[in-house]
Formats: sequence, structure tokens, C-alpha cells
Amino acid sequence: MKSDYLWIKVWNYIVTKSDFWISMLGSHVKLVIWASCIVIILGVPIGILISRYKSLREPVLNVIGVLYTIPILGLFGFLIPLMGIGLKPALIALTIYGILPVIRNACVGIENVSPSVKEAAVGMGANGTQLLFRVELPLALPVIFAGIRTAIVMNFSVATYAVFIGAAGMGTIILVGMRTFNDGMLVAGTVLLAVTTVLLDRLLGWLEKIVQRKYGMESAD
Amino acid sequence: MTGSIEVELQNVSKFYGEDKVVDEVSFHVNQGEIFVLIGPSGCGKTTTLKMINQIVPHTSGRILVRGKDVTELDTVELRRSIGYVIQYIGLLPHLTIQDNIAFVLQLKKCPKKMQRERAMELIETVGLPVSYLDRYPRELSGGQQQRVGVARALAADPEILLMDEPFGAVDPVTREQLQNELLRLQETIQKTIVFVTHDIQEAFKMGNRIGIMRGGKLVTIGTAMDIVKERDEFIRSFIGQGAVFSALDTIPVTQALLRDLPVVKKGALVDPADSSFKGWEYAFVLDDNGQSLGYVSLAGMEGPAKIDPEKVQPLPSPSLPGDSLKKALEEMLWGNRGWLPVVSGEGAFLGIVSFQSCASLLAR
Repeated sequence: MKSDYLWIKVWNYIVTKSDFWISMLGSHVKLVIWASCIVIILGVPIGILISRYKSLREPVLNVIGVLYTIPILGLFGFLIPLMGIGLKPALIALTIYGILPVIRNACVGIENVSPSVKEAAVGMGANGTQLLFRVELPLALPVIFAGIRTAIVMNFSVATYAVFIGAAGMGTIILVGMRTFNDGMLVAGTVLLAVTTVLLDRLLGWLEKIVQRKYGMESAD
Repeated sequence: MTGSIEVELQNVSKFYGEDKVVDEVSFHVNQGEIFVLIGPSGCGKTTTLKMINQIVPHTSGRILVRGKDVTELDTVELRRSIGYVIQYIGLLPHLTIQDNIAFVLQLKKCPKKMQRERAMELIETVGLPVSYLDRYPRELSGGQQQRVGVARALAADPEILLMDEPFGAVDPVTREQLQNELLRLQETIQKTIVFVTHDIQEAFKMGNRIGIMRGGKLVTIGTAMDIVKERDEFIRSFIGQGAVFSALDTIPVTQALLRDLPVVKKGALVDPADSSFKGWEYAFVLDDNGQSLGYVSLAGMEGPAKIDPEKVQPLPSPSLPGDSLKKALEEMLWGNRGWLPVVSGEGAFLGIVSFQSCASLLAR
């Protein structure tokens, strides 16, 4: 009977406090969108760069890999003394976590473009830019997109921790719910987070399929 | 301008570190000619081909394309002016067949309408339906993809084509079909083609001239007939035992034609002692128009006499001047006779080919 009561409280919270959680979800999404833009704008060119200059490949991937393994609260411990609290350190943290799959997939995606396709394009007189934009990037796109999808979904869950560094988001609902022993709010925050994460993943998965169908070597079905 | 030199290599070498993969290679390719480079794997034939469009830069020597040193030309422009077909085809899987064919035109930023028209023209040239233009490479069979590969190489109407084992990845039946189509196409387009293969049959079939490579060196250049007559141990073992038949397949019967034959006119008086009959057991009987009526045995004739029409035997089914010697030899073998008449398309008797005349061609 106690659990029935909990679900009523959760429902009540979702219905009556919709203004609050929608604004928190908005901040959360905004944070993720900004972080993902930074991750894509930085990560894809870095990935292309290290696929061109092999000597940079291992050092760059190692450094990013080490940063990636730092636990998130530990990372905040570094960032708060350096940058204070707020949106900026939260964006940096999300960028550090999201950039590895994007760089790695961009690099691997470009490296895996069939040598005979590249040779044919070069042999027909494609210059460096044409080779990159007309051949390599389109063919690497499914792999690059898979990396971006991983990064976005991961950022969406990592952004929950942003509350600890003073940036609003779905983490705020959960933390406030915990601190005030408001179990309806706590569970509502968790459920909303879980549902939106799954929906986002599905949406990106669907986009990935479209990209694969258009550019992929995989069969069309 | 037929006969001009389109591609010329002068003492070209390629080093990878200390490794000399191409060693002082020199040859030239004339306008409208198919020049085949052949050799065992690792002999440097593909590297040699790729140096022509500078996919692989050469270490020393000079490469001239239409008389200009390739190192002085803009590499991208050079490649756009040379058609390029590779073994693994290398169609761009994310582009339609039309965009694949028109890829060079896209690189050159030609108008869309022109790209479409050129693609439509070329897909018919290589024998595929126009409806394929909107398909993707993965929807085509290997042979069809390679046709698209040839169409793509022709898109910018280059004077020179480089083909690197173009039919190596397709089954033998399709390969033969593609070879025949390319030869038929070449009769009209008259491109200058450098063709790399490791298949001696293909080399003899496709090549006007053939260059054999070994360990980075070009060991010989010549026609199929020149190659089979080589005494060199390596060349003999490389081309193998059956090569002579492949070579004979490239030679028309007219090259081994015997024209000095004992000929009698229908109804004329024949003297078996006549010097033109010396060494012959038969004479050929012609009518007034030069058409052959058959042949007649000279044995048993003791003095001048008229030919008895009863004794004239009909000729075996003849060869045409365009038939290959291999075909003629096959017919001799199957027909159990040592010779075959050669008759023009209009029916005029031209002469005969015999085992003897074929053999003397090889001995020459």
C-alpha cells in the first residue's frame, strides 16, 4: 500500500509542478546541446587531423582517454578552484566526457574508408579538400554519427551531475528531492530523466539508421 | 594524330628506401595503342602504371605525357586528363551510378545538365540501361560495376586510359565479355591505353604490344608473336606452354597466306609438266571471276588434258581473311586436313593456309 501511495505522489508532482520540471528539463537540454555542439565542432576536426597525422594519433587519444577515466566528482574538484561554479565548468566537464567517442570515431571512420575508393578518387583528380568532403567524410559519416550519438546520450546522463557544480538541470530535481525527503519529487525526477534519456537515444538511433542507409556500406535493409 | 607518342617513360626508377621496385624502365605508347604491362606479382607493373598519373611519384628518370614532363604539370589536372580504372573498381558507394560516372565532371565543376547527358551517353556506351543511373553501386553485379568503372574513366573524354587489372575481380565468363566489349569500344574511341595484367592470355588478347616485367625491370617489349618467339628462359616459363595458341589467336590468317598456288582456269587445257605445278599434288580450279570451283588431283595425269569437271572436288569450308590463325588451325585439326582455303567476304579465292605456313611464321 505504501508503494501505491508513492506513485500517487510522483504523479501529483509531475502534474502540479510541471512548470518547474519543464524549466529544469529545458536547462538540462540546453546544457547538453551546447556541450554537444562544442564536442562536435572540436572533436570531428581533431579526429580528421589525427587520421592525417599518424604521429599525433596515439598521444591525443591517450590524453583524452586519461581525462575520460577521471571520475566526475573528482573532475569537479579540479574545475571549481579553476573556474568557479556555474554553466562554464559544467560545459567543460561535459566536453571532456563527450569528446572521446567523437574523436575516436571520426579518426577510425576516416581510416576505414576503403583504400580502393580513395585511390580511385585521387586517380580521377580529386584534390585534398574534394577527397575529404566528397569521399572520406560522407563515407565515414555513419561511424562519426555513431560516436556523436554515444557522446550526446552520455552527456545527457552526465549533465545530471551538473547540479553539483551549480548548473541547473534534471539533477536539481533529484538532489532537492533527496535533501528535502520529498520522495515523490525524487522518484519523479528519476523517472523523467530515465524516460527522456531513452526517448533521446531512440531518436538518435533512428537518425543513425537514416544516415547509414544514405551513406553506409551496410545493406539497405 | 595517329602514330604520335602519347606516353613515354625514360629510364624511370622507383625506390622505397633501399628497395628498387622499378628499375630503369623505358617504353613509349603510341596514340590509339593498347600497351600491356605484364609480369609476376611484385614485378613493379602496377607501380609503373601509377607513376604515369603520379599516384606514385617516381624517384628518377623522366615521364612524358603528350610530350610534357609530368613533374612540370599540375598533378590534379594531369589526373583529370587521364582515365583511370582499377581492379577493385572503387565506385563511390554513397553516390548514384550517374554521380559515379560524372565524378570527374563534378570535380571539374561542370554544369549538372552536362553531367547528366554525359552519364546517359556513357552508360549506353558500356552496354547498361539508362535506368541504372539512379541506382547505387551495391545494387549492381561485379561485372556491371566494372562497366560503370570504364564509363567513369571515359567521362572527361581523356586521350589516355590507365587500366590496372581492370577485369581481375570478375568471373572468367564476364571477364571475356568485358574484354571483347573493350576491344570493340576501342575500335571507335581509339584511346591510348596502358593496361596492367598478370594473365598472359589477356595480355595477348588485349595488347597491340606487350611489355614483360620482372624484378622491376622491363625485360622485353613486343607483339604477342615476338613474345612467343623469345628464347629467354624466364619469358618462356612465364608465358607457359599454351601461349603459342594465344598468340596465334591474335594473328589473322592473311599473315600465313600462301598465294603462289597452282591454279587452272575452268575448261582450260592443263599440262602437268608445267613448272607452276611442281611439288603440288593438286591444282585449284577457278572460274572467270576468280571464284573457286574446287580442286583437282594432278596424280595420274600423263599429258596435257582438259580438266574433267567430274573430278573437281569441292573446297572444304573456308576461312575468312579476318579469322585468326588459331581458328584456322582448329578447323584443320577437326577437318583432318593439312590446309584450309581462304576466301574473301565476296567469295574471291585468296589462297590457302597450311600447317607449314603457320610453322614458318613462328620460325621467322
